[in-house]
Amino acid sequence: MNALINSLIYGIIILLIVFTIVAYLTWIERKFAGRMQSRIGPYYVGKPHGWLQPIADVLKLILKEEITPKNVDKLIYNLAPFAVLTPSLLLFAVLPFSEKIIISNSSVGILIFLAISSIIIIGGFMAGWASNSKYPLISAIRGGAQIVSYEIPLLFSIIVPCLLAGSLNPLEIVKKQKIWFILYPFVGQISFLIFLISGLAEENRTPFDIPEAESELVAGYTVEYSSMKFAMFYAGEYAHLLALSGLGTILFLGGWKGPFLPGPIWFIIKSIILFLILLWIRWSYLRIRIDQLLKFSWKFLFPVSVLNLLLTGLIVILR
Amino acid sequence: MVKALYITLKNLFRKPVTVMYPDKKREMPKRMRSPLFALTKDEDGIIKCIACKLCENICPSNVIKVLPSKEKNEKGRPYPEEYELNLSACLACEYCVQVCPDDAIVMIRIFGWATKNKEDLILKKEKLLENYEKYKDLISECTGEFLRKMQTPRRQN
Amino acid sequence: MEVKRIESNGFEELWVNMGPQHPASHGVFRMQIKVDGEVIKEVIPHIGYLHRGVEKLGEFLTPVQFLPVLDRNDYLSSVSNEFPFALAIEKLANISVPERAEYLRVIAAELMRISSHLVFFGTFCLDMGGALGGGSTIFLYAFREREKILDILEKWTGSRMHLNLITFGGVRYDIYPGFDKDLKDFLKDFENKIKEYEDMIENNPVFLARTKKVGILPKEIAMEHGCSGPVLRGSGIKFDLRKAKPYSVYNKFEFEIPSFPDGDVYSRYKVRLMEMKESIKILRQAIDGIPSGPINSLMPLKVKTHIKLKEGEVYEAVESPRGENGVYIVSDGKFGLYRVKLRTPTFYNLSVIPYLLKGALIADVVAILGSLDPVFGDVDR
Repeated sequence: MNALINSLIYGIIILLIVFTIVAYLTWIERKFAGRMQSRIGPYYVGKPHGWLQPIADVLKLILKEEITPKNVDKLIYNLAPFAVLTPSLLLFAVLPFSEKIIISNSSVGILIFLAISSIIIIGGFMAGWASNSKYPLISAIRGGAQIVSYEIPLLFSIIVPCLLAGSLNPLEIVKKQKIWFILYPFVGQISFLIFLISGLAEENRTPFDIPEAESELVAGYTVEYSSMKFAMFYAGEYAHLLALSGLGTILFLGGWKGPFLPGPIWFIIKSIILFLILLWIRWSYLRIRIDQLLKFSWKFLFPVSVLNLLLTGLIVILR
Repeated sequence: MVKALYITLKNLFRKPVTVMYPDKKREMPKRMRSPLFALTKDEDGIIKCIACKLCENICPSNVIKVLPSKEKNEKGRPYPEEYELNLSACLACEYCVQVCPDDAIVMIRIFGWATKNKEDLILKKEKLLENYEKYKDLISECTGEFLRKMQTPRRQN
Repeated sequence: MEVKRIESNGFEELWVNMGPQHPASHGVFRMQIKVDGEVIKEVIPHIGYLHRGVEKLGEFLTPVQFLPVLDRNDYLSSVSNEFPFALAIEKLANISVPERAEYLRVIAAELMRISSHLVFFGTFCLDMGGALGGGSTIFLYAFREREKILDILEKWTGSRMHLNLITFGGVRYDIYPGFDKDLKDFLKDFENKIKEYEDMIENNPVFLARTKKVGILPKEIAMEHGCSGPVLRGSGIKFDLRKAKPYSVYNKFEFEIPSFPDGDVYSRYKVRLMEMKESIKILRQAIDGIPSGPINSLMPLKVKTHIKLKEGEVYEAVESPRGENGVYIVSDGKFGLYRVKLRTPTFYNLSVIPYLLKGALIADVVAILGSLDPVFGDVDR
């Protein structure tokens, strides 16, 4: 009973914090991208740095008119945004913010994370099918193919720190990191790179954002949505990205360890730094074509990640 | 492969090139040709235009209409009774400024002169004279005399 | 357009419409594409959305009045539209041009060539990268450089894009004091920036994979359809009007003509990049050698019947950033022109689209269309 109330309180607090951070992640992205392109990001709302911009965006999205096309499949059309937002928020249940703050402490936390994050694409496919039009359908089909191909390298690169630490529990993985796993001689860096690339592909970010913001199919599978439902897709994407960065910090960058500041703040800072690296890659590269994407995954990433795993196994045995 | 990331990072630390309009305005060059016009007056406050109709003749899109008066004004010159200029079709080619023998019509170097209805874009004589009073220090460097002096083939002795 | 499904042999083929309003079609252009999965089977293009009747206007406007209207044809490099018209009328009426005016015309033409190629550069990467992503970064860098060129042109003539600079017998505006310092500062800065952008794009395996061996145009097809400019030089034929039939003072400058034999999207992009570097060379030689003197050989214009022509017909052409831009005039001895025909480069360059798109994937459509660099004011006039 006590543990249940504990989890409930932690759950509500973490949910509020996550919503605020997700709203301000859009502001960070626009400022950062603006500076890289020799311009200033948001400026007018809350001069001179535009820090009230996310509030203005949320108000605008709430007050817009909801337009539903005529021949859509009503049940699936209305359920699709929830199917994308809910798993993205559920992912925070298994990430530890510090030694004591974790909503659900289970011994297979990483497995639960991977299982939940694979459901998110089903929401995308529902959206693409239910909007009765060609362009969302083409983009949803491409999205499905892309995510299925990049699941396996992601899985193999996540297993490497679990092998080195010897358990699937996120708390144990952070406690066993005397030096951070990214600094491990050879397998650490390769796993980190594969994790970054597959994470970008899972997330539909450039250079792999084929389902989303195309030049031929104008906005991908969310093209028929407006107002609050579009906001849910948008927030779901950023929450998924933040959760992925959180997982990256736990596996490779040492979790909550650090001098002077308390644990949760270090966790949030490291997640945001990893998020900035993903942003930096997004705003520098062009977009890859769909058949080259699949060739890259099956012919290059898959063998490399398998070899990496074998090498890690060898190291663990010899230790 | 990593070169692209390096160049983006370099640009992160350069100064942005934005000019924060409308808090700060951009410096307009001296010869700027933005299609807002004014009819000039001389030192005594009398209009300089002699209604010779050269500007109406040369305009490629026929935006100027001049109606000369029947009697002369107090300086002994004819003057235009009605002068109408339709800004919505002007090409900003500066031909009318070049042919005017008296420097009577000039261009103003101003940027934001948009209006709310289409009738405000047809400028009559009073509005053009009022523009001259309002924007006296924003007149472009290229008056008729300046352009003709620049283009005349000089005699080589 | 409604979805028409054609069932033959059990496969279904869709007609997809890339309509006149589209974020990546470079203007108003409509294509109906027949698609089988991802491979394109047939293309039907539709043009004519920007037709303004310029050739008919040439019949009742006098030549002096027609010059500012011609500026709006190829709106990205407006000097190359007035240039052949002025050359043709000067040939018919036997007017000579002083040397300083020729140098100023060449400087303006080369500056607008760099500006137009920068627009190609930016929008090509924007189409392939996405409006939120790496493409827009390169787009904003290219337009940052273009702003400096447009500022120089504004200080010189007063207007940024439609210059109205050339007139019969010379040019209309002389350079301001401090022009050569501005131009030399810009050229020095631009050389370093071009190296940066070249490095940024060419070492990118994504870009190379999307542009090499895509959209190959063989030599014979290009010559049959009448292509010119970088489309022709990207297929291996070294033909440039500035060297084959030199006009104005181009025979006094030293420069080379790049051409690549492959014929794919990458070689067309590379030709335009090298042309920008050659333009920098020409500009340096021109600004160092400007002679002094008058800028016009006729008295400034007073009435619209400024020039009287004798009977005859003439054709003159100029190398614009897109190809061969030509004007054919028939005059009947009165003050107007009997017939004006404009030979615009993009109209003939676009006619190879049904050949190029057959057998390509949908994702290649934007790359191929972008590499032909169409401007629809040119096509529809």
